Amino acid sequence: MSTIFIHRFDVVQPSSLEEALKILAEEGESVTPMAGGTDVMILIRDGVIKVKKILDLWPLRSQLSYIKREDGYVKIGALTTVTELEKSWLVNDKRYAGFRDVIIGFATPYLRSLATVGGNIGTGHPLSDIGVLLLTLDAEVVLLSADGERIVPLKEFYLGKRKINRKPNELITEVRFKEAPGNSSTAFIKFDRRRGHSMGYVLVAAYLALKGNVIEDVKIAFDSIGRPYPERAVKTESFLKGKEFSLENIRKAYNEVLPTEMSRISDYRASAEYRLDLSKVLMKRALLRAKERIESR
Amino acid sequence: MAFDPSKSWDTYPDIEITLNVNGKNYKVKVKPYERLIDVLRYKLGFTGVKEGCGRGECGACVVLMDGELVPSCLVLAVRANGKKIITVEGLAPEGKLHAVQKAFLDTFAVQCGFCFPGFAIAIKHLLDKNPNPSEEEIKEALSGNLCRCGSYYRLIKAAKLASEYVRQGKIYFDVKR
Amino acid sequence: MAQAQVPEYVRVVEELFSKYKEFIYVGKYIQRWDAVSKITGKALFTADFLKFYKDPVYVYTVRPKYAHAYIKSIDTTEAERYPGVIKVLTAKDIPGVNDVGYVIPDQPLLADKKVRYIADPIALIVAEDKYVAAEAAELVHVEYEPLPVITDPLEVVDLKTLKEKEHVRIHEERESDIISHFKIRKGDVEKAIKEADVVVENEYRTGMQEHAYLEPEAAIAIPEADGGVTIIASTQCPFDVRKAVARVLGVTQNKVRVIVPAIGGGFGGKEDVVNEIGAKAALAAYYTGRPAVVIHTREESMIGHSKRHPMVAWYRHAAKKDGTLLAVEANIVLDTGAYASLGPFVAWRAIVHSTGPYKVPNARVDTLAVYTNNVYAGAFRGFGNPQVTFAFELQMDALAEELGMDPVDLRLKNILREGDRTVHGQLLTKEHGVGLEETLKRAIEVIDWYRKRKEYSEFAEGTLRKGIGLALLWHGNSIGVEGADYSSATIIINRDGTVTFRTGLTDFGQGAVWGLVLIAAEILGVPPQLFRIEPPDTSSTPDAGPTVASRSTVMGGAATMNAAYKLRKRINELAANMLGCSPDEIVIRAPEKEDVKPSDVEVFCKSDPSKKVKWTDVVEQSFWDGVPLQEFGFFRAPKAEWDEETGQGAPYVTYTFGTMVAEVTVDIETGAVKVDRMVTAYDIGKVINRVGAELHAEGGAIQGLGYALMEEIVHDKNGVVRTYNLSNYYTPLIDDIPDEIIPIWVESGFKRGPFGAKGLGEPSIVAIAPAIVNAINHATKHRFTQIPLTPERIYLGLKRAGKIKL
Repeated sequence: MSTIFIHRFDVVQPSSLEEALKILAEEGESVTPMAGGTDVMILIRDGVIKVKKILDLWPLRSQLSYIKREDGYVKIGALTTVTELEKSWLVNDKRYAGFRDVIIGFATPYLRSLATVGGNIGTGHPLSDIGVLLLTLDAEVVLLSADGERIVPLKEFYLGKRKINRKPNELITEVRFKEAPGNSSTAFIKFDRRRGHSMGYVLVAAYLALKGNVIEDVKIAFDSIGRPYPERAVKTESFLKGKEFSLENIRKAYNEVLPTEMSRISDYRASAEYRLDLSKVLMKRALLRAKERIESR
Repeated sequence: MAFDPSKSWDTYPDIEITLNVNGKNYKVKVKPYERLIDVLRYKLGFTGVKEGCGRGECGACVVLMDGELVPSCLVLAVRANGKKIITVEGLAPEGKLHAVQKAFLDTFAVQCGFCFPGFAIAIKHLLDKNPNPSEEEIKEALSGNLCRCGSYYRLIKAAKLASEYVRQGKIYFDVKR
Repeated sequence: MAQAQVPEYVRVVEELFSKYKEFIYVGKYIQRWDAVSKITGKALFTADFLKFYKDPVYVYTVRPKYAHAYIKSIDTTEAERYPGVIKVLTAKDIPGVNDVGYVIPDQPLLADKKVRYIADPIALIVAEDKYVAAEAAELVHVEYEPLPVITDPLEVVDLKTLKEKEHVRIHEERESDIISHFKIRKGDVEKAIKEADVVVENEYRTGMQEHAYLEPEAAIAIPEADGGVTIIASTQCPFDVRKAVARVLGVTQNKVRVIVPAIGGGFGGKEDVVNEIGAKAALAAYYTGRPAVVIHTREESMIGHSKRHPMVAWYRHAAKKDGTLLAVEANIVLDTGAYASLGPFVAWRAIVHSTGPYKVPNARVDTLAVYTNNVYAGAFRGFGNPQVTFAFELQMDALAEELGMDPVDLRLKNILREGDRTVHGQLLTKEHGVGLEETLKRAIEVIDWYRKRKEYSEFAEGTLRKGIGLALLWHGNSIGVEGADYSSATIIINRDGTVTFRTGLTDFGQGAVWGLVLIAAEILGVPPQLFRIEPPDTSSTPDAGPTVASRSTVMGGAATMNAAYKLRKRINELAANMLGCSPDEIVIRAPEKEDVKPSDVEVFCKSDPSKKVKWTDVVEQSFWDGVPLQEFGFFRAPKAEWDEETGQGAPYVTYTFGTMVAEVTVDIETGAVKVDRMVTAYDIGKVINRVGAELHAEGGAIQGLGYALMEEIVHDKNGVVRTYNLSNYYTPLIDDIPDEIIPIWVESGFKRGPFGAKGLGEPSIVAIAPAIVNAINHATKHRFTQIPLTPERIYLGLKRAGKIKL
């Protein structure tokens, strides 16, 4: 970074989803789809991308902004903003209380009115608060193109650093996940140097289902396990599954199992050692928080 | 961009958009790459909207767009077409102060003043949704606005005071000086 | 100083100090003049003026790929042919001198031979549009010969021996990459250490802090008919900008006019860099004949303007069993980055304060400032003092621990009181106002120190620990031997009875100029609401010196007093003639109301208040009687003394003192710190602008909290700034502030300050970080010695010490 790279570009504003898909089919990679813009506008400034033409998805919000229950799924339109999530029933359902955690810590209030669910996972960035949480709910991504619909499990959606499983002619239209059972809940924790407006040294989400005090099901996702995108700690999960929910077991899981599958990076923000240890602590806290939520009536 | 000396530099189309800013309609020609902040500041003269970072990281440029709190530095101007925008200049009629602004005076909050338009809009947005916010809710609502002079305590107090004014139905105040 | 040598302008200040005991405006809560314009969004900051200028040109700065490299060639042809580009300027286009160095001429405006840091300007694109300018910047082709990059000052100099190491030179044109070396030599340190009961030695590091003022740098230059230029600029120091721009353009200073509108924060950062910004705009205006705009983006601001000097210091303290300090030894290295900027002055202020506000009989201190390839460091609130205060106040706590003494008791044993001599041999008398002990005693009483210190030592709730810590400070007022220490102000009473106030001192949010108006109002009897502060403008406000070094109230206030004093004297004589009583009896008073008018102000005789006239009548009469109601006030501080070899003398006219106390809660499992409460007790001589003082106590503490825990500009090994925005450079936000900050004001009275006042601008940050870190060290029973003390540093420190197990 030695300067900034603002440049001019064209914009096309489609009047319908169909028109947007047509533009993508015809122009492919020469257009850059933009949802809220909180990421794309910064990538341009930082010189990470150069764009010729922006495909402004904002006009499609009337079609792609929703949170609904349907066929045993919770379905969230890709252009649903974080502010809309905040106002929805989702955050009041204790199973999905993890969304409350995500929203409270999500960037800043004014960015929440622009940032969208589809955009957040579409960045393909490890520090994707929503993506990390959705992984623990086994979410799927719905992609639409002129050729039809394609459904990709979120865990197969991330391919590399800022690389996602989206073809140039496709748009992310929805994310969805199966309704979670009543004996379950979720929690999300992000930790950084300050409380407000932070990216997070470590992001962790936990999904927990308890039967009595036994861990019936557990899913734990981090901003990164080793690769530069959000992933689940599956070995740690399977170690915990079926065991009694106890601090001792959790400690065992993060001291003995998590390090075997997690490899953290050192950069200017934090060292690998700190990130790993923080992952352990926050994993514990997320599980405890999820348990507390299950038990709260 | 390939060089063509025969071309003028101004090669991007003008797009006419309509904005309602602080209750008044404007027709204005914008470029596809232009940001709402530039149109508000330099084409329409609403320089109360401040640019502190251009990256949605400081809150100085926030405005209300159809009632939503948005950073005008990250919103393309074309995206604001047909929208109602409220800037700090539109909080109160000319010659009056809005309850939020009055509260800033009452708490002696002002220092350099560059962050205030953003804080004023953020507090107004909070009070529109929640006329009786708790201290925690105030802090949460202002958690993205940077005040480097450090008037935070006064801003929290001001938000509380403004909420009292609003609940008492006192929205506008005369300017004494 | 013999009484006979005291100049008239000093005598006036002394006279008014002893005369005024009660105040109407000074020290009261009074709304600042620009509050309404700022909260309504009407106040105009530099970039806002752009809406008034049609057809400006935009200037964009081409910056290097490398932080250290020779420039082999610069090819601008492609950029010049890019549609919309009017001109590309390089060093060869500079008509005057290619230099904007602040203290020494080491900083080219446009680099042509070498780049020394990652944002070193190489060329300026002048274009019809800001996007065009940025696009064209990529078409300037520069051929480099890269050089090794130095980001660690200890690669330049050895901390132990203080000798310059073998390294690739950054400034070959100079004798050395050590730009300054200051010394204190007092007594016999070796002997004292031998005789001491306890010796503690530690190494300390402080980070590179960024001002992050909310308004990035900006300047608009308008070409003038006589070949000169008018510049609207966001600067603390309009006269310095004028001087720099005149040199670059090769014109006389009276052809450059600098106007300062509202400024969105400065904190010391809008000194040096505005020479560059102003010159860039001026050059473009000069070549195009059109208004030229330079507005730095946040990213450019982060990488392209001065920072707080990082420090590495080795300290050794020696004391007797009873806590009496015997000696202080220190080697202090400051990293001034690629250019000196104010580095030499920062290093000097650092050494003056380096042993703390204590009686130190023996001392040996060396302070060096060295070049690296980091972003250059300059002035930042505190100016070298926060760095050394961090070190010596942690040393004091370490010493207390070794001695088994309470930190407060150790300090009480050693602090400077009236009648003591500073480490420089300066005798502190009643005239200076020495209220340090009172700040300490009142602060610990308010916070209930001894109880909490004991209680928190045993506190452990899950992973949470509590601690309480304190730190003391002293801060020399104004600029001491750094330069000519003068200031000035002009008061003009208009025919309608209103007052015009002019000074070349600037307001960048701190409101110090408002303090000057309160002083003038107090003396004239005319309420502050009737004053209008005109923006600093080099064509109408005489040079008032720079707005730096906590000097506005002290120096500008003293100058204001002189102007107001002379005016009041003439008004009293005139009114006495009109009313028929003696001039000493004249009272000027306004009713207490917000929307007071000139005609509300009354002038009457003290002995017979029925003898009265309206203020407006007196003003009108003055024009008929030929009594001028315009006055200029000047003040020059008594000369400071400093012996280069020994550091002995009287470096500052007086000192501000203070005691900071912090309470913290630490989560040892993550390293997270919450500062729960702070007490800030300052002896500022006399509170002039009460609102401003309180805001400084709060704002300085919050910025100091950032310095202590969060803020750090990070360069990678290639000298590239990684923290170039407000997401990864962490300033405190509303969630990070302590639950409360309790201000305490001690008014010891400085005989040569306006009504006894001393400065507060900088002191308000000086001892915040050591108070917080001492509290963290108390909470964690660990000795952390580096800031920012981030969660990671705390966690890993405790882990390495075996104090944490997950």
